[in-house]
Amino acid sequence: MTHPLSGFLEVDESARTVRHYRYAVERMMRILGGWIALTPELSVKLLLGRHVWDNAQHADLWGKRLPELRAAAQVSEPANARLVAFMDALEAAEAPGETIERVVGVYRVLKPQLLATYEAHLASANAVYEPPTCRILTRGIDDERRHVAAGETILRHLLRTPALETRARAAEASLWALLEAAGGVTGAGPLARASVTGATAAPLSDDAREFIRLEQATGAWPIAPELAAALGAFGDALATGDPEGARRWLEPAVETGPDLQGRLLAARGGGHRVVAFARVGQQRLVKLQFDGGAVVKLQLDGGAESLTLLLRWVLTGAGWRVAALEPVVASAAQTA
Amino acid sequence: MERLIAYDKLAREDRLVRMRAREVAQLKVDQGLPPFPDLLSRDSIKERVHGIMVGELQAMEGAGRSVYDFPDTPWEFTMDMARQVWDESRHVEIYVRLLEHLDGYIGEFPETTILWRCACAEDAAARVAGVNRGLEGLACDVFNQLVHIARKMGDPILERAVDYVLADEITHVRMGSKWLARLTEGDPERRRRAVEFQETIDERFNLGGIRREGEHDAVPISIATEARREGGFTDEEIARLIRTTQRSAVY
Repeated sequence: MTHPLSGFLEVDESARTVRHYRYAVERMMRILGGWIALTPELSVKLLLGRHVWDNAQHADLWGKRLPELRAAAQVSEPANARLVAFMDALEAAEAPGETIERVVGVYRVLKPQLLATYEAHLASANAVYEPPTCRILTRGIDDERRHVAAGETILRHLLRTPALETRARAAEASLWALLEAAGGVTGAGPLARASVTGATAAPLSDDAREFIRLEQATGAWPIAPELAAALGAFGDALATGDPEGARRWLEPAVETGPDLQGRLLAARGGGHRVVAFARVGQQRLVKLQFDGGAVVKLQLDGGAESLTLLLRWVLTGAGWRVAALEPVVASAAQTA
Repeated sequence: MERLIAYDKLAREDRLVRMRAREVAQLKVDQGLPPFPDLLSRDSIKERVHGIMVGELQAMEGAGRSVYDFPDTPWEFTMDMARQVWDESRHVEIYVRLLEHLDGYIGEFPETTILWRCACAEDAAARVAGVNRGLEGLACDVFNQLVHIARKMGDPILERAVDYVLADEITHVRMGSKWLARLTEGDPERRRRAVEFQETIDERFNLGGIRREGEHDAVPISIATEARREGGFTDEEIARLIRTTQRSAVY
């Protein structure tokens, strides 16, 4: 039987491990915070927004533990240069279309490995003289289990096609290899990855299924039948390469210009759909996407080139007409 | 990751239509409508709530950027900003749910990025002055009035939820007051620039006389004097703000 006062880490080693934890957690927290503005999907923004504070508290707890281990407070130290390289690679996914890489990197690679490390540490920590560390580990384990489960829920929502699944697997493999080369967050390797099967249900405020529901709450656009007909006819005219047919839906004062005319012609052959529907007073803004959107954001996917038009519709004596149109950047249409 | 990102890097789902604030205001004026939604009907309250929802979204994003952009600030500063991210993310959820409560939907009105533009100061002291004292101070004004209107119209859901958000916002203003002082301690020039930045934001969000001193029912946005005091504004600062509302340019 093991002696109750036997342990596996010297005090100095324990402090070093805590600094390694703090490095991983602090840097992850800063990355999550920075990504929120760069991520289009509301569900993911909410996920990241919730977890920044949990991880800040973990970093703070680790930082406050350090002086109790004869070390300077609130200091982070990477386990090695390879771990820094891993974090750099994780952080690099900053384009709007890289949400999958972001979520996979944190929720399928870093957090599961951190969780497994915490669990292993807790299992071997001395129960008599290390309770201050054990309390922090327990808090971290509870939160990270919840985070990983929430991340998985969001990924099931994001990974809608086999191609996206493939992307996710590739990102995971690439980042896992880097983390493995570093020996994990403590540099001690070999790596384990915690499973969160059977994690307890999250409270409403942290329930990722709710984040998804809120993201999807819009439902059908409340488009008046006459406007829907006008939109359909306008979109059909562009999609069938009939600019004159489309022109009749424009107010006389609307100038399309040669550049836009060219882009409209490139939309020929695609389908179209409304991707945004807003209002300013009695006017309607539609994003129309060709095989994509309309404020009425109107998006046009004409083969390789995707076009989204932002249309401002006004009700005139002759019915609904476009008072302004402009191509807009399709930001998150192809989310993730 | 790039630090200090430009306003147009803000990532959005396609369902949100982004427009310049002045363009939206002009479209309304052209239709004989007030440039800023009043609180006289359920529909205008819905529009106000939508505007607040996107404001909370930008506040969450801004606080997140402060966590990332300023790794060399004191750790307690990062902790406050991280806490603010969490608060704002819950506020986004609250306002999305309030939109549902009001039969609205995300994207029903255009999003303007005027708040976010104000959050793009490169110096942490200026950002915290502009965002936590300028914009969150504005939030106190708007929410305080919304609580009053909700109570008057008998909507306890709106009243209670917004009142809790208001309590958080006062905390954020307090954080701003604290960090403006600490980050500029011994550096009067830095403080002067930060305060100046905040004042330009205050001036801008007086909205050409829309925000002013007065009863909740009498003015479009009433200055929340008491909430501002709780957040650390001095009587002199509040008096100065009131004075500026009397000379602000048209929005």
